[in-house]
Amino acid sequence: MTLDPGTLVPLAVTLQALTDPDFWVSVGVLAGIYAIVALGLQLNTGFTGIVNFGMAAFMAIGAYAMAILVLKAGFSFWLALPCAVLVSMLFGVLVGLPSLRLRADYFAIATIAMAEVVRLFAQNARGLTGGNLGLFCDLNDPSNCYPNTWNDISESINNFISNFWSDPPTLLPLLIVIWVTVGLATLVLLRLQRMPWSRVLRAIREDEDAAKALGKNTLAFKLQSLAIAAVLGSIAGFFLALDLRTVHPLDFEPLVTFFAFSVLILGGLGSYRGVAVGAVLFWFVLEGTRFIDLPDPPFTETRIAAVRLALTGLLLIGLMAFRPQGLFGKREEMVIGE
Amino acid sequence: MNDAQSNGKPLLEVADVVKRFGGIRAVNGATMNIGGGRITALIGPNGAGKTTLFNVLTGFYKGDRGSVRLRGEEILGDPPYEIARKGMVRTFQITKALAAMPVIDNMMLAAPDQPGERLRNIAFRPGAVKARETEVRKQATELLGLFNLTDLADAYAGTLSGGQRKLLELARALMADPKLLMLDEPMAGINPTLGRRLLDHMQNLRRELGVTILFIEHDMEVVMNHSDRVVVMAEGRVIAEGEPHEVRKDKRVIDAYLGEVAVDTAAGESSVE
Repeated sequence: MTLDPGTLVPLAVTLQALTDPDFWVSVGVLAGIYAIVALGLQLNTGFTGIVNFGMAAFMAIGAYAMAILVLKAGFSFWLALPCAVLVSMLFGVLVGLPSLRLRADYFAIATIAMAEVVRLFAQNARGLTGGNLGLFCDLNDPSNCYPNTWNDISESINNFISNFWSDPPTLLPLLIVIWVTVGLATLVLLRLQRMPWSRVLRAIREDEDAAKALGKNTLAFKLQSLAIAAVLGSIAGFFLALDLRTVHPLDFEPLVTFFAFSVLILGGLGSYRGVAVGAVLFWFVLEGTRFIDLPDPPFTETRIAAVRLALTGLLLIGLMAFRPQGLFGKREEMVIGE
Repeated sequence: MNDAQSNGKPLLEVADVVKRFGGIRAVNGATMNIGGGRITALIGPNGAGKTTLFNVLTGFYKGDRGSVRLRGEEILGDPPYEIARKGMVRTFQITKALAAMPVIDNMMLAAPDQPGERLRNIAFRPGAVKARETEVRKQATELLGLFNLTDLADAYAGTLSGGQRKLLELARALMADPKLLMLDEPMAGINPTLGRRLLDHMQNLRRELGVTILFIEHDMEVVMNHSDRVVVMAEGRVIAEGEPHEVRKDKRVIDAYLGEVAVDTAAGESSVE
């Protein structure tokens, strides 16, 4: 796996960046985006027992559908958002209908294949998606770009903020909107968790046959769980598209899903509250370690990028050794599952 | 007793059910009738097809041929959850306690007609969701009391002993409002005291709630003393049906199942397995 250090955070990073609010705001933006993705994974994997390795596809479909609707179909940004959510949701149901009948491990394999198909399609359907050029503005009308509407809003938010804080970071409005979304999504999921609906999901996680024997149409519940994850994935996709200012196939590699799983495991399986904390911890470790000052040579920039990933991996391994339930998970539920 | 019985029709009519696995006919034309309000034992040597038949009847396996009518309605080929909703509720040979869920949640899960299982109702009919939830919790608490599990209501089901899990599974099946309870070896692997309690519960359910029970059992003493009727299977077919004392004397049954064991032993202390 090769990682260009520049792709993790789209900013030029120097040691001074350690105290640069712009840098930390952009890290916070990524943490928020991954928190949203991991909330979907929590619903699927933590509470329904379906291992979904395809979140990157839902993000890609959300982002691409939004950009294509704005740029090629002339939709307004506000109309494109719900339409793109719907597209992603329908795609989730379509994929789930055959694949959710599979055993959990085969479903996981099917979802990762699905995610790669979506990404490779985006890479090759150049007429629709721009292929490796990505999508940003209408080529015939360079003034028509998908983030235009958002840029206006962002500017007016920052104009307001500049009353209290002169020269706020450019991404601050995005950070605020993303974390408000994380908060709302967490609240909705926490409320759902106390409902009989979630009781059926947990029963499926524990033993699907038992749930069937008690009159529950388990496939329908799993489809709903997957559809909600697709909604969350597409929302995260919008935010990523606004953050990166392009929709590009390489931003939806399986690595995205695996990072989100790391967030999930850090926060703890079976806890919605842990997701946000896990996301912040993961991204602050991954990005904060940029500032480890190692002599070059032998530590070239690419090597340090690898060291940073290794350190994040060590953090996860350490956590698994000493706190397998994650930060907020329930140890009893882990142990009982054995 | 039971409405199905009052109009003279059996609660469950099984006719010529076949289930093949490749070249093997695990169930090979099984035919039987289960009367309402009775406790029927399903016995037979290992490999006779008892559990396979259970799985076909409850929809967990797709039957290849035949007919299964529950209260006159054909259910062969229906998915398991629909069969459960129509009133045929099963338990499993190896208990399926939902381990990482509290006992009370295990119970409440099983209740039918819960508006809170639909996202639409959660969003638009929170009152109805709450009202039914209160009702379900009350019923679950009462049933746990009946099964002496009240103290364990908030414990994770995974912390229960094997016998307690069997009790929980029976209580949970009752939450689903069954007309016909299908118990796959309810007595297997539990201590005799709990086993006795389980049998008492089965008798009470039949007597007080009119629940019909079909159970697979190997312990001949249990079969002879606690069932109204016995169905004997061998090699995928039903070879005999009748009251326990009749079946015990049936030549085919002795040949197929009891084998060399003397008839009076089978009726008495020892168990065949």
